[in-house]
Parts: sequence; structure tokens; C-alpha cells
Amino acid sequence: MPAFVSRCHAIATSLCLTAFLLLPSGCSRDSNSSADATQSVLRIAVIPKGTSHEFWKSVHFGAQKAAKELGNVEVIWRGPVVESDTGSQIEVVKDMITIGVDGIVLAPNQKGGLVDPVQEAIGEGIPVVIFDSGLDDGPEIVSYVATDNYIGGQMAAEAMAKAIDEKGNVILLRYIAGSESTEQRENGFLDRIADYPDITVVSSDQYAGDNATSAKEKADQLLQLHGDSLAGIFAVCEPNANGTLEAIKNAGLAGKVKFIGFDPSDALIGALGNGHCHGIVLQDPVQMGYQSVMTIVDYINGESAEEFQSTGEYLATPENMDEELYQRLLHPPTIE
Amino acid sequence: MNLKRRLGSISLALLNHGPALALIAIVLLFTIADNAFGSGSFFSGRNARVIINSAALVAVPALGMTLIIIAGGIDLSAGTALTLSGTALAIAFRDYTIDAQAAGAGTWIALALLGGLGVGVLCGLLNGIIISVTEMVPFIVTLGTMTIFLGLGQVIADESTVYPQTEHLPDWLRYLCYTGSNEERYWIPFLPIPSSGLIAILLGGLVAALLRLTVFGRNIVAVGSSPSTARLCGIRVGATTVWVYALAGIFVAVGALLYFANVKNGNPSDGTGKELEIIAAVVLGGGSLSGGRGSVSGTLVGALIIKTISSGCTMLSIPNTYTHIIIGVIIIVAVLIDGLRNGTPAWLFNRLGRRAD
Repeated sequence: MPAFVSRCHAIATSLCLTAFLLLPSGCSRDSNSSADATQSVLRIAVIPKGTSHEFWKSVHFGAQKAAKELGNVEVIWRGPVVESDTGSQIEVVKDMITIGVDGIVLAPNQKGGLVDPVQEAIGEGIPVVIFDSGLDDGPEIVSYVATDNYIGGQMAAEAMAKAIDEKGNVILLRYIAGSESTEQRENGFLDRIADYPDITVVSSDQYAGDNATSAKEKADQLLQLHGDSLAGIFAVCEPNANGTLEAIKNAGLAGKVKFIGFDPSDALIGALGNGHCHGIVLQDPVQMGYQSVMTIVDYINGESAEEFQSTGEYLATPENMDEELYQRLLHPPTIE
Repeated sequence: MNLKRRLGSISLALLNHGPALALIAIVLLFTIADNAFGSGSFFSGRNARVIINSAALVAVPALGMTLIIIAGGIDLSAGTALTLSGTALAIAFRDYTIDAQAAGAGTWIALALLGGLGVGVLCGLLNGIIISVTEMVPFIVTLGTMTIFLGLGQVIADESTVYPQTEHLPDWLRYLCYTGSNEERYWIPFLPIPSSGLIAILLGGLVAALLRLTVFGRNIVAVGSSPSTARLCGIRVGATTVWVYALAGIFVAVGALLYFANVKNGNPSDGTGKELEIIAAVVLGGGSLSGGRGSVSGTLVGALIIKTISSGCTMLSIPNTYTHIIIGVIIIVAVLIDGLRNGTPAWLFNRLGRRAD
């Protein structure tokens, strides 16, 4: 009986597979003709690293804003099913090639892993704009639209130095390995902080992970280890900073240990107001989404673009946080 | 009465081909929905290639998991063992090989593959030895080795991602997971099936043959059905367990090769969570976590089901959050239906039996 059952499985499976495989040409022609019918609307796939962080929702808002202004553009917003998983993001890029979108705007999870899928897209005639985080050299991308994260890291170092009067022990809490944008921030911070002779970096080799829970755990351990003699902590991105802030509060060090974050969240903005946080480096995610979509549509319409476009980096402090510019960057509009 | 019996046998027959029928139903459903609401590109050769490739990445390690589950075990470390092995491969290709085009590169590539894949096999062997020597529950042992392998991977990768130089990778390796339209990059020029998919089918055939034609295969089923009876029959349960896990290690290693060919780098933390997808493929294919039951074709279909759903959801622009919910519901419903043919849940069958009287 079991042998019979599995043979039936095998037969059914192979039937199913063959049916699936034997239609390559016919169907792709179908999808081409449907693309012809809707040629007036450009379909642009915008692929973030993940979908659950506030930051990406603001990018989405910016992309939609561009689409609305242009009128004839449809934004297909799709993140990897598994957050920060390269394989999952590769699948999304391939799915977008299958759909036959007119352009892809991508924030690669890893600078190396996405090279071949991007190459595949370009090979199928789909132009690609990279945003937020860099891609390894190779594919002929249209443009790279991002914050200059290295400068952002340097700004964090300067803010830190100012907050601790240019002396004391500091910790750099990293994000995850292989993420280009945060590595740039980390390098910028370390390079700039080295200019201050009285500041010692006591820890710069810990990775907080991609969620607030693991970040809090790491920060708890670091505070346990260095808490007594610690002057400041720099957390390189939003989930990371949220966890670190909680850990600082728990340890009763809020306000005593100077804290610099990167990217805003409600908790961090609150902390900036009540003296628990001493600076937040800000990017402009709305501009990033907006400019990326604009760039790729311009390219499709025959215009060329700069190789790298910076969307700016800013430092919010307790002093300037009420100004209009910083209010907009601290509370960027998001899409729901 | 006759009609009733016939209906009964039809529904039994349907249940027996459950996974394959479910796959066909899911493909049909998404095709119809995609033609109505989506871009109409779900049912296309290209998408079939993409789905087959991503399913192969799950299916190959799931073949090893099928053996383990049939033998009544479980391997929670499969995901991190896979990325540990993949990371080792990436390091071997980064530091110990030369340009793939250069003279004598073949030897280095063979050594790199051997080293990287060896790591995966060792992981399996370690699991098997610990489980059979200490007689601890596989769930606990592999829960432990899961984090051990993750940590080891982070140590050898220096807590970072390992990027080998592109020139070091031979073309056949680069294009193992290729799904584009250049036919020269496939193994069979006139039938563009991703090479990863062919590997999965080939290995699937071997495992099916192992289970059905060899004494060892039958021993695996016997151990999984009832270890004590197997022992009474003179089967060396401990040795069988060690071999099953070591063998599963080979599939984890091949899975690691595919993973590496897909993302072209090694990141040890990519593996967390993969084990659940692998186990889900086996369970969807009719594998029973209480041992003694599982099928190779079922597992291959299970992997296809998971990836078809996730692809279909993308094509229909269904948000990721709902994709997770849909896959979860399908796993539970599939196992529930599967249970019906074994008389579970008991309360339902008791009540039905009483009414029939």
C-alpha cells in the first residue's frame, strides 16, 4: 500500500510539473501582449529590505508621492517575506522580473548576494535603481540613491564628542553583519571618533541584531560590563536604538550615559525631549523613495542620471528638535 | 450501502494523493486568481522555474529531514548547519581557491567543495552520535546543536558575511540556481529546468530507492515505527540513528551548496528559521512527527506547495503578513486532513461510529 501511494504521488507530481513546464513560450507571450495593452502605465517595483520598520513605510510614502505626481506610474511595493533574509529578497526580485515590471527600485539586503538577480533583471531589459544600501560593483545600475551613511556616522561621532565633553569611554553597538549602510555608519563613527584623543572606544565588536529585543539583550550585557565607567553609546539604527534606550533606562543610567541614535522612533523622540537621548542622526526616507522612483522613470523616458545621489543627512538635538525641518524629519509621513 | 462504501474508497484515494492534489488545486486557484486580478504571469514557464528553484533550496535538506522524521527523530539544527556549511564553502572559495579560469583551478575547487560540504556531513554525524550515545530526545539535542552551529558559523565568519571573489566561482556553480532566459546556462538545453531542481529530483530518486530497496531503508522505517520492536528484531537502533543523521548531513551539505550558489556568499545567521520551513515541507508531504511515516515525493511536493503559495501571493500583491497566515493555515489543515485517514481526532470518529450504529 505505501509503495502504491507514493507511486501515485510521483505520477501526480510529475504530471503537475510537466504541465507547469510545458507552457513556457505560450504564456510569456500572453503577458507581453497584456503589457502592450497597458503601456501607458509604468509599473515600478519598489523592494525594501523589510516592510515592518517605520523607515520603509516613509520610503513607501515617498515612492507613492512620486507616482501620484507623475500620474502614469503604478508602484508595486513588495518586501522580502522573511525580514533581512537575502534568499527571500532574491525571490522577490525574480518574481518582479516574472511579472515583467518596467523598472525595479531595490534596497539590497546584502551587497554581494543581490548582484546576480540584478544582473538577471538588467539582462531581461528591466532597469534597476539601488537605494538606501549599496550593491557590489558589476551590474550597470541606473543610479544609487541613498543617505551618505559615512558622513552620518561622522556626524554621530561629533555629536557624541560634544555630549561627553570630548572625553570618556564610548560603545559602538553595531547592527547586523553584511549590511552596507550600517557598516558605513559604523566606519564613519569610528574614523571620526579616533580624532578625539581622550575618547576610548571600549566596545565596537557587538552586533545588536535586527530587532529591539536582541538589541536590548546585547546592550544589557554591555552595560553590565562597562556601565560604571561609561560615558556614551551610539546605536546605529532604529530597532537597535530602541532596545539600547530600554537597556539604559533599566540600568538606571538614563541621562548619565550619553546616547546617540540613528533614525527616529517615538521612543527616541520622547527621550530626546526628556534628556535621555542626546542626538539622533536623521535621514530623509521620503525623499529617498521619491527620488528613486523619479530617477527610474526619467531613465525609462530616456534621461541619464548621476551615479550617486545623496538624499541628505541631519542631526536632531534637544535644542533644534522643535524647528520645522527637524519636526518633519523626526515625524516623516508614512503609508498605512 | 454499496454507494457509501464506494464514496468511502474514493475519499480515501483522494486523501492518499493529498499533497499532489493540494498542489494542483493551489496552482489552479492562483492561476485563476492571477488571471482575474493579477498580472497573468503566475502560470508561466519563467515562474515555474523560479518556484522550482526556490523549492529545491528547501527540498534538498528536507530529503534528509524526511529520513530523520521517518526514523522518529527531528533535526532543529538543519537550518544553521546548512548556513554553517554554506559559510565554510564561502570561506573556502574566498581564501583557498584561485581564479576559476586559471590552470589547476579544478583541484582547488574540488578541495573547497569537499571541505565545505564535509562540514555539513560532520554536523549531521555529530547530531547522530550525541543522540544515540546519550539517548537524549532529538528535539533537545538538535536544539542545542542549532545554536552551537550558529555560533560556530559566526566564529569562522568573523561575525560578518563572507564574500568570495566572483572570479573564483566556476560557471557551473554560479548558474546552479539560474532562472533567466539564457538556455545555455541550463543542464538540459532544450528543457530549461533550473539545475537546482534537477539535483533535488535526482537526490529524491536516490532516497526513494534507499527507502524501498535496501535493508537499511526498511530498518529506518522499523526504528521510526517502534524502536523497541526494532531492537527485538535485531536491528541496531543506535547505529541506524547515527547513519540516518549522518546521511541527512549530506543533504544539508548539498542544500548548503545550493544556498551558496543562490546568494553567492555565506552568512551564518541566514539559517535561523530555515529548519522550520524544511520541517514544514516534510509534514505537508505526509511525514508524521511520531515516526514511521513520510514520503520522498510528498516532501518534494510539500516544498513546492510552500513556494507556490509564496510566489502566488507576490503575484497577487497579497501583503507578506497574509502570506505567513495562509501558509500557517495550510500546514495545519493539511495535517488535519492527513490525520483523518488515521482516525484522528478520536472524539470525531467516536461520535461518527456511534451514529452509524
